Amino acid sequence: MTTGTRVPRPNKSFAWLRALPALLLAAALLPAPAARAEDLLPQLMREMAQVKSSRATFVERKYLSIVNTPLEYTGGLAYTAPDKLEKSTQTPKPESMFLDGDKLTLVNAKKQSRVVLLSQYPQVRAFTESIRSVLAGDIATLNRYYQVSAEGQMADWKLTLAPSDKQMQAVVQQIRFEGAGHSIRTIEITEKQGDRSVMTITEVGP
Amino acid sequence: MNPAGRGGARAALVVWLLGLAACIFVIARTPFSADLSAFLPSSPTPAQQILVEQLRDGVVSRMLLVGVQGGTPEALAATSRKMAAALRGDALFAAVNNGEDEGLTPDREFLWKHRYLLSPGSTEPNHFTAVGLREALDDDIQMLGSPAGSLIRQILPSDPTGELVRMIDQFEGGSRPNSQDGVWFSRDGKRALLLAQTKAAGFDIDAQEVAQAHLHAAFTAAQGAGQEMVMSGPGVFAAKTRASIKGDAWRLSSIATVLVALLMLLLYRSPRVLVLAFLPVASGALAGIAVVGLAHGAVHGITLGFGVTLIGEGVDYAIYLFTQIAPGSNARDTLKRLWPTLRLGVLTSVCGFSALLFSGFPGLAQLGLFSIVGLIVAAAVTRFVLPVLLAEGFAARSVEHLAPGILRVVDRFTLLRIPFYVVTIAALAWLIHLGGPPWSDDLASLSPVPKPAQELDGQLRRDIGAPDVSFLIVAPAPDAQGALEAAERLSAPLTRLIQAGALAGYDSPAQVLPSLATQKRRQAALPRADALAAALKVGQEGTPFKAGVFDPFLKDVEAARTAPLITRETMPASALALKVDGLLIKRPGTGDKGGWVALLPLRGVQKPAAIEAALAAATPAGRPAALLDIKHDADQMFSSYRREAESHTLFGAAAITVLLFLSMRSARRVFDVLAPLAAAVLVTTCLLALSGAQLTIFHLVGLSLVVAVGSNYSLFFEKQSAAATNRERTIVSLLFANVAMAIAFGLLGSSSVPVLSAIGLTVAVGAVLSLLFSAILARR
Repeated sequence: MTTGTRVPRPNKSFAWLRALPALLLAAALLPAPAARAEDLLPQLMREMAQVKSSRATFVERKYLSIVNTPLEYTGGLAYTAPDKLEKSTQTPKPESMFLDGDKLTLVNAKKQSRVVLLSQYPQVRAFTESIRSVLAGDIATLNRYYQVSAEGQMADWKLTLAPSDKQMQAVVQQIRFEGAGHSIRTIEITEKQGDRSVMTITEVGP
Repeated sequence: MNPAGRGGARAALVVWLLGLAACIFVIARTPFSADLSAFLPSSPTPAQQILVEQLRDGVVSRMLLVGVQGGTPEALAATSRKMAAALRGDALFAAVNNGEDEGLTPDREFLWKHRYLLSPGSTEPNHFTAVGLREALDDDIQMLGSPAGSLIRQILPSDPTGELVRMIDQFEGGSRPNSQDGVWFSRDGKRALLLAQTKAAGFDIDAQEVAQAHLHAAFTAAQGAGQEMVMSGPGVFAAKTRASIKGDAWRLSSIATVLVALLMLLLYRSPRVLVLAFLPVASGALAGIAVVGLAHGAVHGITLGFGVTLIGEGVDYAIYLFTQIAPGSNARDTLKRLWPTLRLGVLTSVCGFSALLFSGFPGLAQLGLFSIVGLIVAAAVTRFVLPVLLAEGFAARSVEHLAPGILRVVDRFTLLRIPFYVVTIAALAWLIHLGGPPWSDDLASLSPVPKPAQELDGQLRRDIGAPDVSFLIVAPAPDAQGALEAAERLSAPLTRLIQAGALAGYDSPAQVLPSLATQKRRQAALPRADALAAALKVGQEGTPFKAGVFDPFLKDVEAARTAPLITRETMPASALALKVDGLLIKRPGTGDKGGWVALLPLRGVQKPAAIEAALAAATPAGRPAALLDIKHDADQMFSSYRREAESHTLFGAAAITVLLFLSMRSARRVFDVLAPLAAAVLVTTCLLALSGAQLTIFHLVGLSLVVAVGSNYSLFFEKQSAAATNRERTIVSLLFANVAMAIAFGLLGSSSVPVLSAIGLTVAVGAVLSLLFSAILARR
């Protein structure tokens, strides 16, 4: 799959494509120059789209106003391009979620499973699509739910998603990804009431 | 003419005119119906009775499914919102849902406010003890980590025991429509969907038509460029069916009337005779409608459609009379000669139709009564009124030019005997090979709704996730509370059956409106404020939750302990209230027939037998809950309907045979009359089967008409062999009558209403064959 078709403003992206060999050379030889923000986003998306599969462990901490100490969740993540994502939580209780296309399968600690279709739950969908679409480099889907902005350079980027949907805005203020190249290091979700959660991700293999 | 004869004639005219006036008086007060329930049994099993009631005015019958398509999804969503806003303010609609949140807000508030009375959690052991609360808090921590965590976080301080999630879990399982831009869309994203529920019942077609007009108006006002609206549902079908039956009946009878009139003008060259020819038919039809109206309280559209058929049959009598008046003879003398045969023909037809009178299906009984009354009156008018009105010295002179040619052809027909026997035996052999005629026992084949409309309905239903209810448990009780309790008693066995894989899930009115007894039990299980606070304090120890976070929970439980119980009257107008109305139903009637029922639609049924067994064990013997397999029961109803009609038809055939024996007293003569009829029925059935048609009850009705009409032909052919005089005129009159018949029924065969076209084709083909076979088998 080429990302060229998915990136809007095809003329610009083709210009960028022609410059790609030179950019790669410069990146290898020199201390990374700060990429212009409007170039970074398509480049990042293209980079992400190259990844066919990846596996990682995660530690997620939730800082909520109703708790004294942050809630901590750990487990593993597995992604297979373009649209399969699995999150298996180990602690505090084993539980897993498997997202395949529109289908979300939930399995709880008692091994009871339940399948829901994302298209029937718009809010959950917007939320899960944020992670999956960043992994897939799917800018079209991201643009559908969020206002997307990127800063930094490929070796150290920050991607900020602000929900465009009113219902979603009532819950989530922004979702912020940080990473290097095609690896995501952290996902930070800030909620309206000041609650926030930070997921730290460590890649363990393809 | 002697004075006595003149007096008799005057009396006949007076009786006839008074009769007509009475008929018109009655008809003016007769309502006309078009709902299919006339073709549902009148004395069914209790389960079928509920099925019929649901089809007539259940919530499902009030649903209108609407799709808006064409243009961009954003524009479609905008149209959907505008339409929904307009319709929500419309007094004709009980509910309008297009996936927008507005529609659900009252439901959410209701569930939230009454969660401790509605959730089955309250009465679970340990639910509000320190141990139980600790477990709940651990689950909460887990839930906070899920994608729905942000939503859970908001309600957690008021609902740490997860009653809301538990209640919503109960409702889940039914498929939900796709959502896009905040409103429902089809899976392919090309059609925005709305669901509107009318206040009027589905069978109230006038009200349904008005509601549909309002929907159209709402669409026109909200419409964007290039958009169009599609609509389906029982109310739409009912309105369309009535319109097309009305339209077809009117259009086809007009065309048939004009064509038959042209034929008559050609034959008799007299406008006066033309008018007279229609008197028997018109009188018969009026009398038929009036008597049906008096006997049944209403006349069905399909019965009216049959009015067309009488044009064919009733006109025959006049044709026989007019054609057979030879120059120099008069109507009275001709009638004297004709009457015995004509009378026997009428009696034969009446025998054929009388079987329908006893049908358990009001629609068929109407058809039978209409035909019998119509034929008798048409024959009586021909016998007593026409001679009085016919000009002295009338004779159908054109017959003289045509007759010799026609006769030459007809006489050759006897040469076709061998091919006739070959065809008849082949038809019989083929039907035996098929194992009988290819009957269709699918209720859908009874539906007057055209295929494309049925397909659109199926599409909209799938898209909108409307419940495809095929299994339903019916729990009866003397009153509403009893029915709710009966539904609650089924919850434990059904849960066990779900675990055993017998079904996937179920809906129950008690989920939304628990019985007062259950609400009281739940309320009694709620702990006092101080006890709950103490338990929570212990349960919360060692969790990360801050002290005091759950104060709203303590407050809400305390409020619920003394809150008034929920009744249907105190529920807000919402989708949940509609659900209760759809599933908790007051039956019409009193005593054993009346009372209330709770309906529990089942999902994903795998083992109906296991469910039936569990029901028998779980419900009291006096008023047992029953499992209704809707598709199966409806088809069974239809097939019993068809079998009943079949046996009635056989009974009619036997009655005709007996009648002919009594009047002819000769086996050979009876055979001569019956053989062409039987062969015509056989070959017609075969032709229908060959054309790929699945035979329905209406083909069967058509075949009885073939016998009724065809018997006239064979009787006249049989009679002419006895008296050679006037042979020419007899045969020509039969041919004319047959052409009139073929015109009327052939036109009916072109109707877009399957019921009418089935009868039309069958009779047109059968009538022509009857005449042909009568001519072939005629002895000279």
